[in-house]
Amino acid sequence: MIAPDWFREDRLPHIYCTGCGNGTIINCTLAAVEEMGWKRDETVFVSGIGCSSRAPGYILTDSLHTTHGRALAFATGVKMARPDLHVVVFTGDGDLAAIGGNHFIHACRRNVDMTVICMNNHIYGMTGGQGSPTTPPGAISSTTPYGASEPAFDLAELAVAAGANYVARWTSYHVKELTKAVAAGMQTPGLSFIEARTQCPTNYGRHNKLRSVSAMIEHLRSHAILVAKRDRLVAEGKPIPEGAFTVGELVRRNRPAMGVQR
Amino acid sequence: MKLVIDESRCKGCNLCVLVCPYGIFREGTELNSRGIVAPVLDRPERCTNCRLQALYGRMLCGVCHMICPDQAISWVEEKPFEPHKVEVEF
Ligand SMILES: Cc1ncc(C[n+]2csc(CCOP(=O)(O)OP(=O)(O)O)c2C)c(N)n1
Ligand code: SF4
Ligand code: SF4
Ligand code: SF4
Ligand SMILES: [Mg+2]
Repeated sequence: MIAPDWFREDRLPHIYCTGCGNGTIINCTLAAVEEMGWKRDETVFVSGIGCSSRAPGYILTDSLHTTHGRALAFATGVKMARPDLHVVVFTGDGDLAAIGGNHFIHACRRNVDMTVICMNNHIYGMTGGQGSPTTPPGAISSTTPYGASEPAFDLAELAVAAGANYVARWTSYHVKELTKAVAAGMQTPGLSFIEARTQCPTNYGRHNKLRSVSAMIEHLRSHAILVAKRDRLVAEGKPIPEGAFTVGELVRRNRPAMGVQR
Repeated sequence: MKLVIDESRCKGCNLCVLVCPYGIFREGTELNSRGIVAPVLDRPERCTNCRLQALYGRMLCGVCHMICPDQAISWVEEKPFEPHKVEVEF
């Protein structure tokens, strides 16, 4: 196992379903934390509600498992009261972009110094697979039985527009790149947002012709295009493949940040 | 070093089977005592990390270990030293 000093081993195996990508994202985050050389008693993990938000419960530091959608509000409070602590937020697409949408844009605008990792599985996993703001058009969920008819949010682009200092997107297949992105986010002062697209075989894959874990991973792998490739396609006036999403670093900048210890 | 799967954690998702460049993990066929079909190891001594981790003093490759959502893959010291005949295909 990765980072044995950081896992609450007595709580393992975790509750996640077979092949759920959330466990992989915890691995990548803890590998990045180890790389940073942070101390356990100087690090706080904060989350809202959802499968993704259970992550801090498996980590051996102080943590806050808060109310649905409010992880960023609690995390802002922690950072304001104790700017000496490293704050890492785990959140889900429903938690961050549906009920917590307003906290998301304002935390980015304020550029609060913390690292936010969103496990985006395009669904409300915990409550039985209802559609979320990131459910792609056409996808079947328990609230969109004929296929989602609304356009989806691009969470990473939203964070860029709202003002976060560091924004990257990877998937649970790109483990090395995701780890590097999380570490780069941790090094950047201000809000760092890392969207990790991940598989929910139980509540997403099962209804969307992606029954096996490998089919879900293959879908993520084959639809990811590097930011540089997207830019090249745009410059050449070529179409971007249907259903593709960009991966890589979307922004790294130096806007004034809140909660940075001087 | 020796590659081991902790069967008290593995949930049999076969993500390790998908990612290992050497095909060291093979889909299992038998249920274990927890009712899970864990993968089986095919000549794990071919793994880069088994061979060279001690020499380099750091993790090499390690993608199986990184992607395993259930923290079930690790390397243990071999004691006493167990010699292996290693054939590496390129
Ligand atoms: C105020 C409030 N409204 C609704 C719920 C029910 N609820 C629990 S988890 C969840 C959705 C979680 O979705 P997401 O954040 O994407 O997490 P996932 O389980 O997919 O990781 C909802 C609606 C709740 N717990 N609290
Ligand atoms: S319901 Fe989906 S997100 Fe939740 S643990 Fe299962 S696979 Fe993971
Ligand atoms: S470390 Fe790499 S080579 Fe070794 S078993 Fe894992 S994936 Fe295969
Ligand atoms: S990736 Fe981990 S949990 Fe999945 S089959 Fe391999 S050892 Fe088991
Ligand atoms: Mg979700």
